[in-house]
Parts: sequence; structure tokens; C-alpha cells
Amino acid sequence: MTRTLTTCPYCGTGCCFYLLADGDGRLVGVEPSSSHPVARGQLCVKGWNAHHFVNHPDRLTEPLVRRGGALRPASWDEALDRVVAALRRAQTAHGPDSVAFFSSAKTTNEENYLMMKLARAVFGTNNVDHCARLCHASTVLGLAATFGSGAMTNSISCMEQADCIFVIGSNTTEQHPLIGSRIVRNAVQRGAKLIVADNRRIRLARLADLHIRHRNGTDVALLNGMMHVIVAEDLADRQFVEARTEGYEALKAVVAKYPPQRAGEICGVSAEQIVAAARMFAAAGRAMIVYSMGITQHTHGVDNVKSCANLAMLTGNIGRAGTGVNPLRGQNNVQGACDMGALPNVYSGYQKVTDPAVREKFRKAWGAPDLPAEVGLTVTTAVDAAAEGKLKALYVMGENPMMSDPDQGHVRQALQKLDFLVVQDIFPTPTSELADVVLPAASYAEKDGTFTSTERRVQRVRKAIEPVGQSRPDWAILCEVAARAGFPMRYGSPGEIMDEIASVTPIYGGVSFERIDQVGLQWPCPDAGHPGTPVLHAGKFSRGRGLFSPAEYRPPAELPDAEYPFVLSTGRCYWHFHTGTMTRRSRLLDREERFPYVEINPADAKELAIRDRGWVLVATRRGEVKAMARVTDAAAKGVLFMPFHFEEAAANALTNNALDPEAKIPEYKVCAARIRSAP
Amino acid sequence: MKALNEQELAALFEALAADWDVRVPIRLHDGTRALGRPGEGPLALAGGALPRKITSVFFPQMERVFTAGGGAIEAPAPGAKPLLVVGFTAQDLDCLEFIDRFFGEHFRDHPYFARRQGAATVGVSGRCGRDGAMLKIAAGKCDLELVCDGKRYIAAARSEAGAALAGRVAGGQEVAQAELDALQALSDALPRDDEQLIAAAAALLQQNKVPDEFWQSVADRCIACTSCNLCCPTCTCFEVFDRSAGAARTDRWRMWDSCQLDGFMREASGHNPMGAEWMRTRRRIHHKLAADPARWGQVTCFLCGRCDEVCPTGIGIKAVCREMLARYGGR
Repeated sequence: MTRTLTTCPYCGTGCCFYLLADGDGRLVGVEPSSSHPVARGQLCVKGWNAHHFVNHPDRLTEPLVRRGGALRPASWDEALDRVVAALRRAQTAHGPDSVAFFSSAKTTNEENYLMMKLARAVFGTNNVDHCARLCHASTVLGLAATFGSGAMTNSISCMEQADCIFVIGSNTTEQHPLIGSRIVRNAVQRGAKLIVADNRRIRLARLADLHIRHRNGTDVALLNGMMHVIVAEDLADRQFVEARTEGYEALKAVVAKYPPQRAGEICGVSAEQIVAAARMFAAAGRAMIVYSMGITQHTHGVDNVKSCANLAMLTGNIGRAGTGVNPLRGQNNVQGACDMGALPNVYSGYQKVTDPAVREKFRKAWGAPDLPAEVGLTVTTAVDAAAEGKLKALYVMGENPMMSDPDQGHVRQALQKLDFLVVQDIFPTPTSELADVVLPAASYAEKDGTFTSTERRVQRVRKAIEPVGQSRPDWAILCEVAARAGFPMRYGSPGEIMDEIASVTPIYGGVSFERIDQVGLQWPCPDAGHPGTPVLHAGKFSRGRGLFSPAEYRPPAELPDAEYPFVLSTGRCYWHFHTGTMTRRSRLLDREERFPYVEINPADAKELAIRDRGWVLVATRRGEVKAMARVTDAAAKGVLFMPFHFEEAAANALTNNALDPEAKIPEYKVCAARIRSAP
Repeated sequence: MKALNEQELAALFEALAADWDVRVPIRLHDGTRALGRPGEGPLALAGGALPRKITSVFFPQMERVFTAGGGAIEAPAPGAKPLLVVGFTAQDLDCLEFIDRFFGEHFRDHPYFARRQGAATVGVSGRCGRDGAMLKIAAGKCDLELVCDGKRYIAAARSEAGAALAGRVAGGQEVAQAELDALQALSDALPRDDEQLIAAAAALLQQNKVPDEFWQSVADRCIACTSCNLCCPTCTCFEVFDRSAGAARTDRWRMWDSCQLDGFMREASGHNPMGAEWMRTRRRIHHKLAADPARWGQVTCFLCGRCDEVCPTGIGIKAVCREMLARYGGR
């Protein structure tokens, strides 16, 4: 048996563990790392089962090309030649921006870097994006505007040091279990105050000092109401505001319009709760905000993020251990995929494509022709462009937009309209079913590289077994595509790619495989002697002064009405991950949650004669799916919750493709729905 | 009787590898201690119980049980040499003794005994716990016990097979029985707080003095990571699944299961008699402290400490028993 130290492929917490392989080169278990600062010898249920899907018989093991309407096995040569010819053909006929590239938060930093290099240097387009668009695009913009850096300000260890933790829109024990468990321990054993603002009665809510069940999509009003109280009762950290921030007067003017009574009416909670939350948060020596998709996935996601940042600055809770604004990144490498510039507006390290000096720097480093200057399409707008016939070809690496993007009917129609779709993945998916070419990729256990966790920690991923079948690591496939397109990208190993990343990416300047051999480094890490940065904005914000960015409350794009009387909110459950491709092929996880389900409040269920575990039809203006009812007081009255893991009842057949105007993130958390027992 | 330093022990294990499939505690890449073959990493005898249950060497997380194909069923070939496993604490040996009963007393679990039969067990005890703390001396239940005096390990035979192993020792220093006796006296003087704790908690449960509300309050803190089960040497539950490579061949596998999962007890109808979180939380502890004494005549938590180490939210069995006694243990 062999043991290989690597990083978990599920959420962004970044636990390291050993993969155990048997003599036949199959994975047979997981062993936690005792010395890892985040895992500390512990894992969640997905971590314990992270070996299981890798050798599943459904793995894609050979390239497939569409012939006579069906996907049929082909050689790598034929498949790759088809890909390059089709992408070039589209560009020749319709220009470089008729092609787009979806990179992947599941793949390594090195692979994301190569994907954006492929898009920009080889195919001359900034149409490169990935699923951060669907999760934390609001964070990247909102925190960059207020603080100057769009990442989690503090470290996971800070969860144990805070005196008050304000969790808003994060089901932390289910989605970031080893972060959630630190919150549980701090609250239960150390006595830290815990405020949970969440419509659902999540596990943390059961342990909270204060549980605020505000209406979905009213976060700005709630946060403004809290800040109103803090200003009115003189609870702000005036010294911090004076010394470290700008724009306070503008904030004051806006929050003045949200006395707790009015805020409470908007939110559907009592004024007393808002006052209590404000006092509890402001009174703490070290108060931290933890948020996730409940804040970001709204048409006002950026406003939500900015409001969280405003609250932290107003109370001086930034730049110190145990404080901060802490967006928890949902995927193993969604932080890294952003850092690597798999985004339409920036190169690696958030260097803007619109800056001529930056373009020149990358052009030189890459030996590339002119690089495109226009900001490209996002995951969401690229699908819209495909539906309009403007986008002709799409290269999807390790993403499953048919399951993950809003309004599945729209996505299907858009992908079918493309002249060419190539999907590179480890399992067949509803997206690969529509592809013209499918390239089999190696899983995380079959390659080397790095992932960057939610606390900005760059960590090693290591090859534990040989790639199954003919599958190849994504980085090797991308190099092959580039070579066939006439732009050889030659690397002996992913370590060499990281060396190139470090040379052009100041925040990764001091990162190398050698330095992160045992424990990862937290960026910014500008040079080889730098120890990394556990807490951002200490002493000074990345942008100089922190900028108060007040926002007015705006309601969600689609609210319940007589025809669709419920709010539908979507997300993940504990046992599955995203589109289910890995967890539904992991024995114990799949057994735990086998059917698509929808949470409904007992009072609503009673009224509609819906039984627990009975089949129901959930419909919105976009579609209808059949799922199993879960009658639970976790759901607030009038609100339904559905996870989006299940192909047979895709929650995203229902969701609304309404986008935040800046971040282009869809409003997964609110749309209008109806529900009835299935006949 | 000989006392050996780590270097001499490493040489002994290498020599024994000619006849045995030797597994010893080693230090992995990032310092994590685990069982490995001699030479796969630096020897790491000291530090107390290994994080992974050491019994996993006989009952691994996932293993192929048989392969069916071509009209035949074939079990995996047994190892070429018998296992020699080093690193059992006294508590681990108690656990091993119990699962030997579990897997062998009323039925015979072939995959387990394919590894266990003929295997030699080597305990590690004495002054080699975390930060040099004293580890209880088993004084039996294994073939050979390595009792640390703070610097060296006294190789004490505990069976005939152990005597044969001790006979293979080359080098080392001769030590008198008195030295071992002195260490045994230290071991005997170790506090028995945890044993008393578990006994008192077991009594409370057996007398049905712990209300459901208590289990709900613990369940509220459980994130269902399943680590408590997966790390527990006396947890023996497994799930079975098949993997087919076309029509010609199907592998049957089994893997560790967890009673903390809803799916563990859920019926085909969807009904689950253990369908509430608090019931599963209660089961985890009730099983070891109340059900097993009725079934096997013994409490089956032997205080190896792993679930308390590994539980992310601090509700391992000792922590829960402490809380239970504080709330319901008053006279």
C-alpha cells in the first residue's frame, strides 16, 4: 500500500490527507494528516470518502468524438485535431471572440493558469471564466472595491479567536465542516457569541445566541439596520473609521434611512432582533463576519458583500486576528482559479487586461503576439451569447453548466446552438452529452499541482495513482492543444508551471513546490523569503484606506405572487457536492441522499397535504421538476429549499437567470415557485 | 531480556522482514505517524496510539472480498508472509481482543482472519507517550511488548511466538527483570480516572438515567463526519458494494460504515427506526457502554482516545461521558 499526501478535492477549506492505494493502483482509503494546520488529524464525511469516486467504472477512459450523431471512441490525435480545427475555424469565420473557454475551480492552479494562457495567448480572446462567476463573483468585486483585495481577509484559525461570530448566508457546518466545527467549539466551549442570520434553521442556528430568520434577499436592509443602530448608539469604532477609512459620511447618510423598525419590516423580523444583533456584534473585542452563497448569489450580491465590509469597518473589525470579513470559498480551488486569472478581466494575480503595461508584461513573458484588450465574456454572458448565436465554439474544462448554470432550458438551447462544444472531464455529464468532442481527464488523485484554499493557502496536490485508462492530466491536454494550435507550451512538470506563475504574479511571487512541500503558504507571498500572510489589511488596506460603499436595499428580481406563491432557494446539502458527479459515485455519500428533495415547512406542507418523503412537483416560470418532499422546520414558512446535485430533478431547471449588474452572478437564492403533490 | 535503542529496533524489524510482512509506526511526509513497512519512513514508535486505528491492518477501510467472473468466485490471494504488526498500545490490544471475538466467535469473517491468522502483535508501552508520558504496560495480549524506559525499549516476550521474536534480537543491552518491574509499577500507578469515568457512564446508561434531551443537545453539535466510527478500533460495521468491469468480471468490496449515517439503518421504504440525529448520537455511545455489555459481557470502549482526538466539535466518547456525568451523575 502507498500513501500520498494531497489536498481534498471538495470544499475550499483545504484539508490535507493521505490517499491510500493498493498494489493494483486503486485507491482504497483516506488517512487524515495529523500535522496539517487546518485538518489537524480530522476530516468531514466527504473527506473520508474522497478516494471513492476515483476508480468508479463510469470514469471517462478514452477520447470521444461525435460521429453520426453519437459520441464514439477516438484516438487522442483525432480528438485533439478536431478541437483545434474547430476552434480555429470559428475564429477565422467569426473573429477571436466567437470562442470561449470555461476553466475549472476543481482543477489545479497550474491548469487554470494554462487555460487562461491558452485563451489569451493562443486564441487571442479574454473569453475565459469559470464557476466563481456562480459563487463568489460578488465577493471578488465587492471586497476589491471596499478593501482592495477580493479574498477572505483572515485565516481559518481566526474562527477560534473571535469573541463574536456573525454567520450570514453560510451553512458552515455542512459546506465547510472543519470551519463550521471551529465555530461550534468556539461558541460552545469558549463562549463566543454566535449570531446566525439565515432563513433556514441550520445547525449553527441551533447553537446561536441569536438566530435571525430574515426574508431571502433582504440582507442589505438587515446590515443597514444593524449599522443604523451602531451609528445611532455611538457603538462604532470611531478611531478606526477616522484613521483607516474613507466615505463614512456617505455610509451614515444611507444607513440613517434604515432604522430598525423599517429594516425589520423589510426583513420580516423584529426591530429588537436587529438592535440585539448590532449591540452584540459591536460590543465584541474581536468580531468576525462569515458569509457564503447566501450573500453572494443575488442580483444585489455585490451590494450584500459591500454591506458586510461596511459593518466590519464601522466596528474596526478588520486587520486583526479573530476578526475580518470571511467569505468561504465553496470549491477546493475556486480561490486559485480566480488567482490564476481564469476570469475575463484579469490575468493571474488580478492584473487587469485593460492595462497596457500588464498586457505587455504577459506578452513578453509568454512570447505571444498582441494580447486582447477588451474584457471578455463571463460564464453567464457566454451562455447568453451562445443562445443569441454570437458565440460559436466553447471549450469546457471540468465544469457542468447544464447542471450548474441557471435556467437549464436556456443553457441547453444555448449549448445546442454552438457550432462546436468540447468538454474535458473525468465523468460523463449532461454537458458532455451535448459535446462534439469529449476529452478524458485525470482526476485530482492522478496528477501533481496545487490548490489554493479559502484562506489563500497554496497547497500541494500529488499523484497517488496512474491516470485511469487513457485519461490525461488537464495541464498535459492543454499543452497538447496549444502545441497543435501552433503555440507550444512546454513544461516538464506542474512545478515548472508554478515557477512561471510566480514569475508573473506578484502575490504568488514566493511560491514554489519546494517551499510548500509540507505546509502551504498563504498569499500574498511576494518573494522567496516571505512567510505568507495570514491576516490581510493589517495596518493598511490593500487599496490604502478602506472605502465605505453604502448600498440601498433592492428586492430580488422575482418575488412570490399569487401564481407562484413560494420563494425557492437553491444550494448544496452536506453529503453531495455541486453537480453530483463525484459524490453520487461515492458509495456512502450516495446512499445517504439518493433522491432529489425539496425542503418545505411543516405548516405549508400540511396546508398543501404534502407528506414527508412524498413526491412533489416544484415549478417556476422556467420549468418543473419532481422531487421528494422533506418536511422540516429548517425551512421557513413560505420558503422552499432545493439542492442542485440531482440530474433527474435539476434545481437549475427552475432558477432564474437574473444577474447582478456588476458581478454577473445569477440569483440562485430567490425565485418564485409553486409546489404540489405529484399525481 | 534485552533493551534496544531505536536504531537497533529498526535493524531488528528489517531483519524480521525476511520472514514476516512487518508493519511498524513510521513518520510520513508531513510528520503524521502511521503504520508502514520498515524503511518507508523514519521509525516513530513514540507518541502514543497511532492516529489511524491500528486494527485497520486486519480490517482495512476498503478491501476486495472476492471477484466473480467466468463462473468462478475467487478470494484475494493471501499475503505471502504473515503480518507482524508493531505499535499496539495496551488499549489497542484490548480492542483487538474484542474484535477477534466479534469476527470469530459466532461466525468466522474470512477476510479478517486471512490477515489476522498467524499474525504477530507487538505492543509499545512505557515512557514513550506524547511528550514522554507513561503508557500503560499491557503485560500480555500480544506476542512481544516493547516497554520504553525513556531511552530504550525493553523487548519483553508475552508469548512463545514473542519469545522467538525476542530471540532474533541482535545487539542491545541485557537488562534485569527488576527494571521491567519498576516500569510495571509506574504503569500500575497510572491514574484510573478514565476507566472510572467510562464505568460510571456505562452504569448511568444501563440504568436508563440519561434522557433523550441530552442526546439532542449532543447531536446539535455533531457534524456527522463519521470520524468517531472510522477511528474506533471496536467499530466493525461495513458496507458492501460491487464494481463491475463489463459483464465478465465483478469485484465485491467492503468498506467501513458508520452508524452516524441515516442510510446505515434506513429501510427500503424510506422509514428509518434511527431516523433522528439524537438517536444515532445516542446509539454510538449506548452501543459500547450498554448494548455490548449485555451482548458480549463487556464494555467495548477501551479508552484508546481516538474519537476524542478526531472529533472536530469535541464530542468524543470521553467528552460526552464527562458531560453526561456532570448532568446526571449526581447522587
